Amino acid sequence: MARMLSGRLPDPPTAVRRGPLRAGAFPSTLHDQRVASLLGIALGITFGTCFLTGLVSHFMQHPPTWLSWPSRPVWLYRVTQGLHVTTGLASVPLLLVKLWTVYPRLWEWPPVRSVAHALERLTIVPLIAGSIFQLATGIANIAQWYRFHFFFTVTHYWVAWITIGALVVHIAAKLTTVRANVGRKRHERIPGTAVSAAPERTAGGREGDSRREGAGGGGQVLEDLEDQGNLGNGRDGAPPAGGLTRRGLAVATGTAAAVIVVTTAGQAVPALAPLDLLAPRRPDLGPQGLPVNRTARTARAARVAVAARDPGYRLEAVGTRRVGYDLAQLHALPSHTVRLPITCVEGWSADATWHGPRLRDLLDAALIPVDATVRVESLEAHGGYRASEVRPAHARDPLTLLATGLNDADLELYHGYPARLIAPDRPGVLQTKWVHRVVLL
Amino acid sequence: MSGDSDAGAGAGAGLSVGGFALRVVLVAAGLAALGYGVDGLLTMPRATRPSNATAWLIGGIVVHDALLVPGTMLVGFALSRLVRAPYRAVVQGALIVSGAVALMSLPLWRGYGGSVDNPSVNPLPYGRNLAIVLGAVWAGAALLMISRAVRVRRTGRRGDSADG
Repeated sequence: MARMLSGRLPDPPTAVRRGPLRAGAFPSTLHDQRVASLLGIALGITFGTCFLTGLVSHFMQHPPTWLSWPSRPVWLYRVTQGLHVTTGLASVPLLLVKLWTVYPRLWEWPPVRSVAHALERLTIVPLIAGSIFQLATGIANIAQWYRFHFFFTVTHYWVAWITIGALVVHIAAKLTTVRANVGRKRHERIPGTAVSAAPERTAGGREGDSRREGAGGGGQVLEDLEDQGNLGNGRDGAPPAGGLTRRGLAVATGTAAAVIVVTTAGQAVPALAPLDLLAPRRPDLGPQGLPVNRTARTARAARVAVAARDPGYRLEAVGTRRVGYDLAQLHALPSHTVRLPITCVEGWSADATWHGPRLRDLLDAALIPVDATVRVESLEAHGGYRASEVRPAHARDPLTLLATGLNDADLELYHGYPARLIAPDRPGVLQTKWVHRVVLL
Repeated sequence: MSGDSDAGAGAGAGLSVGGFALRVVLVAAGLAALGYGVDGLLTMPRATRPSNATAWLIGGIVVHDALLVPGTMLVGFALSRLVRAPYRAVVQGALIVSGAVALMSLPLWRGYGGSVDNPSVNPLPYGRNLAIVLGAVWAGAALLMISRAVRVRRTGRRGDSADG
């Protein structure tokens, strides 16, 4: 089996080896396995972070029955989703520089060496397609720029599985390469057979490329190994020296990621808010000093607006008993004040002060049992977010309110007037607005 | 991963039996996840619009491989002819930072997206803000170039890019 997979296939005729396929077509010394390995590790960390935080967000919004999210710490979802978006944005330079360093591999010769090599190259397609897709659609989504026809969250979720799966296969394929290029003992781990694409060596390692602190072997051996690390199909016609070194490339890439983090993380991290120059949100900009995601209009709701302002509005809680409150009665209920962030799936979050009755007091009034799950329903007639399920951990949390006020004023329609759900550690899309009914499930 | 020697068990170049087993497990797990994603994408076609999603998936690769990278290489080629040695690395680095920052914020400074009735989406003057950020990046680059010029003058012809 192994022999069949790794058996050498015949080369295509050399006559077709033209253009980018010819030797030395990519002379830069930065097409280098060590650079690619280090960037690959960085990307493994950022993509892994994005995947795990993405799973948290997905399963908070669609929890299987056995999974009960805690309502504490209050900031948990704020941290995971802020990390998700910030890490994704910081991955842009990492991915682009990494793809640039390995670009000669797209044109490697021979294109296919063995069945195993062909399969490995095949899994690169979903890896690169998925990686670019995830970053591009994520960037478009947080700016609410919808040029694609698919539904973002569902598609982003499934392509995440494709991407992470292809990434794990890729890690398996590159284990030896990375071990031979990263770490203090890397020179001891270089396999007997070259793992790089049949490099055609030319004399003379270039400056900046052949500098290495010795790790046991002689200098000449090291330089040979360095050359094997080059991905550029040889070094004919190398560019004039004096451009970026490998370290310089790493510094530039890291600087790019750092600048992106510093200028965008302020949409979730209060301390960085003054530097929030290039994020789609500012935590203090919006109606009543707080950003909004779903407006009454996106909720298709001239209807919602009318229903919310209807003097006949009643808030109902339906359990073993049915209780109802008109607006005056709702405001007369014992009111509590909590400081909770509103945390959007798009990564921004902002602290606010909310006032209103506790959800659990309403549930008690309707004789809804302590361990029951309830559904909080909006005045919206349609749409995926018109209602949300609240499980006991959140429903019974003393911080969970049906807020009627925000930042010392009555709630505006933007924020869900006459009443909205606000609970700790919960995605913003599930903090149902324009609430008119709470029912026992 | 540690602990495997270079026993070179027939299957993988330089991998021990443990390393080989790890590879097999990783490949199996990776393919399972990949298959799960493809299956999910195809079984929820009303949300995922598979043909549109595929067009964007392939389109990303094509734009990257056929436009972005060749374009970058053209710029690199031009730089290697136009900018002298101790300064070229700085210009390259500053361009990498500028390009990445501009690309990740592209919808914002181009004015794409946003929401007609929601002023809290994309509320900032992003063109101005991008200019501020890139201005800071290039100011840093200018400082680096000045320090290199000083070093070149002091040490004659040696300051050639050893530290990027």
